[in-house]
Amino acid sequence: MADPRSQVSASVPQKPLGFSASEGTTIEMDPMEYTLRKRLPRKLPKRRNDVYINMKTDFKAQLARCQKLLDGGAGHREICIHGLGLAINRAINIALQLQAFSQGALQLAANTSTVELIDDLEPDDPDEAGEPLTRTRNNSAIHIKVFYPSA
Amino acid sequence: MDLRGEYLPLQGETTTADSISATLPSPSPGAKQGLATGFKKVLRTEEDSPSPFPGLLPGVLEMRVKEGSKIRNLMGFAMARMQSDPGDSGQAGLRQVVFTGSGRAVTKTITCAEIMKRKVGGLHQLTKLRYKGVQEVWESQEGGDAEMTIHRTVPSISILLSKDPLDPLEPGYQPPETQTALWEEREGADVPQPAAKRSFDQTVSEPQSKRFCPQDLQGFPGSSKRVAHKLLFCQIRLPCSVLR
Repeated sequence: MADPRSQVSASVPQKPLGFSASEGTTIEMDPMEYTLRKRLPRKLPKRRNDVYINMKTDFKAQLARCQKLLDGGAGHREICIHGLGLAINRAINIALQLQAFSQGALQLAANTSTVELIDDLEPDDPDEAGEPLTRTRNNSAIHIKVFYPSA
Repeated sequence: MDLRGEYLPLQGETTTADSISATLPSPSPGAKQGLATGFKKVLRTEEDSPSPFPGLLPGVLEMRVKEGSKIRNLMGFAMARMQSDPGDSGQAGLRQVVFTGSGRAVTKTITCAEIMKRKVGGLHQLTKLRYKGVQEVWESQEGGDAEMTIHRTVPSISILLSKDPLDPLEPGYQPPETQTALWEEREGADVPQPAAKRSFDQTVSEPQSKRFCPQDLQGFPGSSKRVAHKLLFCQIRLPCSVLR
């Protein structure tokens, strides 16, 4: 969301930017450059019927996987589909598709939550690796229970 | 503006009823390419559908979240309505609010609801998902009055937040400030503090960053950054989860 650099400059004493050769030392001219690394979301609890939706795997593959969990040999009565951030849409899409295919047999129960995410700000220059910076931010998540109502 | 309307190119995402009712010279197979090149979306209308929450009090506030809506505008308005006292010049504070959004606005819709839950507290939640029909009118960029109308279905979400209790047996119900059974058995002991305590706009916090010991990284000056980074992760993950 926000530009990582702006966050960095807020917490790190601003070094003189630019390459003004008139300055004496070389170190001071070095602009602080950081690479933003996103850590994996903290702890993914995973039962066999939990499915985490991502934006990398093919949509159809993820849909097929859910379908297989529900029928197939495993025959789970319910599965949990989790989506974070951008993947929320896809998670909803998959849940609705499953429900449509089941011709009304499946029900959905969606919950939402907030997930705290941690980014690492790594200095590009390895010599500067004194103080690793982290930034926490929040993202929304959805958890959709897809189940056969017991009746 | 971004011409890739939501779900245009993503294969598989629009498998249901993604019909193109074209009033356009170009045949429908070429329509998708046409969209990517010389066309501009000029209009997007959501088809009306019945409320996902039958039997709500009349006059409930419905917040329609759009792709470009500013969260601070939405929240400024909604919070004022939910928090205003009966004594104020305006109306009494509302008991219920509904956030709805479809397509690319879904994430924002959830974010709004999450923010409100954190700020107001004690709200009962009911979440409903469904597909929504959307009509889009695309206009040719290359002059002429070529126009086409596209009908597609996009996922949509409706979140009801209520100060009054809701039926806990209704699918999609979430009690105030706790995570339901969906989550409990795994996170129960582990949830650090009620979400209400966290502020949404946390930025870099110095004390926190010191927790993740930097020394480990310096042990690998020769290795490529990527490797060093992986190692950093391995070493940090465990203590980090313990600390939290």
